[in-house]
Amino acid sequence: MIEAVGLRKRFRTRRGPVEAVAGIDFRVRAGEFVGYAGPNGAGKSTTVKMMSGILLPSDGRVVVDGLVPYRQRKRLARRIGVVFGQRSQLWWDLPLRESYELVGHLYRIPPGDRAARLGRLVEVLGLGPLLAVPVRSLSLGQRMRAELAAAVLPGPRVLFLDEPTIGLDVEAKAAVRDFLRELNRAEGTTVILTTHDLDDIALLCSRLMIIDHGRLIYDGTVEGLRAAHGTTRVLVVDLVEDDKVQVEGATVARAEGRRRWLEFARDEVSAAELVARVLAGHEVADLTLEVPDIEDIVRRIYRGEASP
Amino acid sequence: MAEGVAVYLRLAAAAVRANAGQPVVLAVRTVAAGMIVAVEVTAVVLLLDRFGTIGGWRVPEVVLLFGLAFASQGLALTLGNRLEADNLSLLVRRGTFDQVLTRPVSPLGWLVASYVDARYLGRLLAGVGAVAWAADRAGVAWSAGTVALVALAVVCAAAVVFAVLLIAAAFTFVSVQGSEAGNMLIYGGTYLASYPMQIYGSALRLVFVWLVPVALAIYVPALVVLGRQGPPGVPAWLAWLTAPVSAAFLAVGGLAWRGGVRRYVGAGS
Repeated sequence: MIEAVGLRKRFRTRRGPVEAVAGIDFRVRAGEFVGYAGPNGAGKSTTVKMMSGILLPSDGRVVVDGLVPYRQRKRLARRIGVVFGQRSQLWWDLPLRESYELVGHLYRIPPGDRAARLGRLVEVLGLGPLLAVPVRSLSLGQRMRAELAAAVLPGPRVLFLDEPTIGLDVEAKAAVRDFLRELNRAEGTTVILTTHDLDDIALLCSRLMIIDHGRLIYDGTVEGLRAAHGTTRVLVVDLVEDDKVQVEGATVARAEGRRRWLEFARDEVSAAELVARVLAGHEVADLTLEVPDIEDIVRRIYRGEASP
Repeated sequence: MAEGVAVYLRLAAAAVRANAGQPVVLAVRTVAAGMIVAVEVTAVVLLLDRFGTIGGWRVPEVVLLFGLAFASQGLALTLGNRLEADNLSLLVRRGTFDQVLTRPVSPLGWLVASYVDARYLGRLLAGVGAVAWAADRAGVAWSAGTVALVALAVVCAAAVVFAVLLIAAAFTFVSVQGSEAGNMLIYGGTYLASYPMQIYGSALRLVFVWLVPVALAIYVPALVVLGRQGPPGVPAWLAWLTAPVSAAFLAVGGLAWRGGVRRYVGAGS
């Protein structure tokens, strides 16, 4: 569905040329749900802009659903949906319903199809009471659901999402995620999700791409990332008395009061063995085992502590 | 093709409805836009009354030029207000223009249709009013021909102003920060064209008749309507050239816009 080969984008700035995307290759199959993560300024948005026809690559090529973005911009626009979390694509001063009518005309959706599809979206996203409300009066959570319906109404083959859950409360996030999961499953829509929220990725994406300094530094499954980098675990020990802890196979990563954080590698010592060693030398009030979540792993990769 | 135009008409209708959401605000702004024209024209009338004539032109004749200039400016800005440097650079910096590029429409068509602003019609209507008042005082004999000439002048001058807006927009794409150069030509150019050409030096005359042909579109048809002779180098028969020269300048504006968008997406400078 999407193929990028040697994709590059250079910008000329006052301080000289900057390579925002420095040669990346990937292939996304139809129906994949891909998380696209990376620190600020890593090149995420620039990649998405090249895929959606907003920017022309400086070098390399990208093909989306058989079309070359920008060169075939209008044709591609009919087949993709784009949602930028912080910017609205709805008609701000008009009742929400009118935005959907305009989208219907823009994308030449036959009126009957539009009504049927909109009816389903309104039901799934709970938009019924909002249709008569001007968009500017919607809350952020309501607006995001409304934006999704607008982006999906033309039945895009690929959906590009940029931070769709940013600033939403827990409930609104769950609603957005449920909708996206179901859309991907039921319609086979390919989804490229750019986000800082690694929960989005863990809960939705079958595949994760991480970009940093314009290069892809990880491309694989979320589980694969955990397996490759999540080998370090932490045993949290609450001592009865303040004491110096020294255990073979673990290092004290942190100490606070009587609490010690012991880091150990999964393949060097088992948790059971380590607990036994700690108990052999110290009187312990409590024990907890911490497994790093995906956020910790990615943070470490960004910081260069773990090489991908 | 017809279907394509229908989409833009729908967008424009949506823009008008969005404004009409606050009918009182819209009415006040429209009237205010017309009032500005009325005040400026009144000021000119009071000022010129002290001198009687300017460059051999009587007050109502000058007001006719002012009316044409305001009307054409109003028409151009009704359609192209979002192309002004400050407005466009805001759309670029907010990322709105990126979103426009993800729509299956022409970006220029989108910007024109989505931001049609009835407020500027106040300027157009007040300008037309000034023309009617002035023509009456100047003793113009109305005929189908003079009406057509006035309409031609307004439409052609509006095309020239719109082309300047397009060129200014191209510069905005290159610099992102809006440039004042466009505003200088839009407001300065139409203001200059509000006075008889003979009061200017030949260099200025050359620029605004041929380079940015706003004076050609306003002043020359006015000569014919008023039955006057132009200064050396600006004969009345130039009125025949108004339409083709304005159209050519509009085409130049269109090319500049395309170049600006290409530059924006990074398709070479």
